[in-house]
Amino acid sequence: MFEKTLKYLRSLRFTIVLIALLGAILAIGLWVPQQSLLKDIYFDWKAQSPRLVAFLDFFQLTSVYTSWLTVTLWALFFLNLTLVMWQRIPLILKRIEMPASRIVDPETGGGFVFRAAYAVPEGTDGSSMVTALEKRGFAMVSNDSGFYAVKNRLSPIASALFHLSFFLILLGGLVSFYTEFIGFVDLAVGEPFGGTLAQYNARPTPKLPKVGSLPEVAFTVTSVEPHVVRNTPTGITVKVKEKTGAEHVVDINKPLNTAHSSFVFKHLGVAPLFVLKDPAGREVGGNYFKLDVVGGKTDTFRLGDLIFTARYYPDYEFKDGKHRTKSQEFNNPTFFLVAERDGKKVAEGTVPVLGGLNLAGGYRIEMKECPFWVRFYVIKQRGLSLVYLGFAIASIAVIWRLMFYRRELVGAFREKDGRRCLVVAGKSEYYKKLAEDEFARMCGELFGPPLAG
Amino acid sequence: MAYWEMIFYWVALIVYSLSCGGFLYSFIFKNPKVMPRMFALLAVGALAHTVAIGARFQATGHLPWSGHYEYALMGGWFIICGTLWVGWRNKQLQGLAVATLPLVIIMMGYGYMQNPGLTPKAASLKTIWLYIHVYFAWLAFGAYSLAMAAGVLYLKKKKNSLQPVPNPSYDRFPSLEHLDELIFRYVVFGFITDTIMMAAGSLWAKDLWGGYWNWDPVETWSLISWLTYGITIHLRVTFGWKENRLAWLVICALSTVIICFFGVNLVVNTSLHMFQVR
Repeated sequence: MFEKTLKYLRSLRFTIVLIALLGAILAIGLWVPQQSLLKDIYFDWKAQSPRLVAFLDFFQLTSVYTSWLTVTLWALFFLNLTLVMWQRIPLILKRIEMPASRIVDPETGGGFVFRAAYAVPEGTDGSSMVTALEKRGFAMVSNDSGFYAVKNRLSPIASALFHLSFFLILLGGLVSFYTEFIGFVDLAVGEPFGGTLAQYNARPTPKLPKVGSLPEVAFTVTSVEPHVVRNTPTGITVKVKEKTGAEHVVDINKPLNTAHSSFVFKHLGVAPLFVLKDPAGREVGGNYFKLDVVGGKTDTFRLGDLIFTARYYPDYEFKDGKHRTKSQEFNNPTFFLVAERDGKKVAEGTVPVLGGLNLAGGYRIEMKECPFWVRFYVIKQRGLSLVYLGFAIASIAVIWRLMFYRRELVGAFREKDGRRCLVVAGKSEYYKKLAEDEFARMCGELFGPPLAG
Repeated sequence: MAYWEMIFYWVALIVYSLSCGGFLYSFIFKNPKVMPRMFALLAVGALAHTVAIGARFQATGHLPWSGHYEYALMGGWFIICGTLWVGWRNKQLQGLAVATLPLVIIMMGYGYMQNPGLTPKAASLKTIWLYIHVYFAWLAFGAYSLAMAAGVLYLKKKKNSLQPVPNPSYDRFPSLEHLDELIFRYVVFGFITDTIMMAAGSLWAKDLWGGYWNWDPVETWSLISWLTYGITIHLRVTFGWKENRLAWLVICALSTVIICFFGVNLVVNTSLHMFQVR
């Protein structure tokens, strides 16, 4: 029973069943909103269809990539791979050996797709032929009965490397999973970041590492310059200065990488400095407010006893009785503010940079400046080098195995119709027809035209 | 679309349609002599297609790599070039166009119905990884499409060989044994480029999104597609699957690639692979 189970567990049939099941599960994850990936959609959906979502939650179909079923399938996949490799590696090592027993009769040996005979001058020995084949990349073994030659002898090792690279990727993945910290932090120009947990955004909740520490980095954002061309964001230049004095430029595709951590630019906002003045013109309140208003969204802030709703126009114009933006370029940044006290509107109007809006009772709100703030996606992981090494080995191994496959040739000198001739037979992995053509061409070049029959 | 791009896009589409019609005619009306002429016509279409890509490049300053229209424009070009390349090297394979041309025509028609507007290159696409990742993705798509085309030809030729009066058009194609091997060769080429595409994509994703794997729908489908072709190779090498079974397998497997390129973004608007392309 044990032997039978073990045999099934290490069979390729089982591999295929597992991969098919994993494929099906991955496909489920595409159609059922996943909690970890689509939080907003998931919670909206849960509010609308609580029973259905509860049912799917119960079977972990809304967190399918980390569900017990998926983890079990991956575990079985790697168990299967381990058993298969355990069985295959000795076979692979045996396969790359060159014992004399591989020299078989080219006329009767089985499995060869190409057979031919070539006339050779009397007295020709094997040495010239060995040299010619070695020049073409064949490794040789020969004795009195003939020779065995193989091209790309070590190619089967690539097969083992390809499959073993999965273990590196798995190991790297596990290390990165357990050491992973993920958080978001919003930083305005001039705002220092010290790396404490309290500085990260409360929502979404930072994911703390099971092993290891938070990113140990401290810096200040010194400038933010977004680039927009014809309404398409084409880049952003975020300059940061580390506590150590080192300066970096962060852009899209160019995160701040330091101490196993990446600070990836995710979002842009504006952080205007609004001040509230009393009827005598004295400042009675003021602050930088990080507003998430780029792209047409509205946001609110509180100043004094007033609540302001802000809409932002990066390139403001008043046309046809409507407030609008000419483009997404930051040419004329202007806010449209609605001020409310106790739920009642008390004033509304536009406020450009260095402009203001008169409020009830002689008060006035003014915008002194309008710098940007940026949201960084902060991720710290270890083990990435293992993952990348796994990718590199997998890529190299798949090229090695499938493009530099083995071609085997056996041959012997014989007497035929009173003439000395070389009889050869060849076979190849994967491509029978290709091998036939290749052997015919190569042997023709080396030994001349084949003998008829 | 740029002015010259539009003109040459339509020229390419019309020429491809004519060529496709000619290939179908040669099969249905058993007239194999038409095939080389249609192949030459296909080359003319490819030339117009190339000019259209060049005109778009001149107008935008970057190669068309993103969005459904650009996927169709560039992906179609890779498939056609693959068809021309194999047909030029081996005249017996010119007939592969009968399966790849309809695919390209549908892709280009669909792409045109999406947004073909000229847009500057989005910030997220400004990286060398784009070229490596997308280039290998298109090589894989082209190779898998040729595998599908060889699969279709294999099945048609085999069916034809069982007819009481076989259609001579099929005599122009390689033997069944050769076609069977070609299917596997295209799959192998596609699998190699697919592997490189995924590795390059992971490295890019780390810089762009912060994580090398994000379970993004396009990523997930590309993994499904890669596993499908990985299984195909194992079935062929270990279980000896070939002939009809292999042909049907590669025809069906192409659907995973099409879903990955076009299907996911069509039904899911949360993919990171949207790249703010309107």
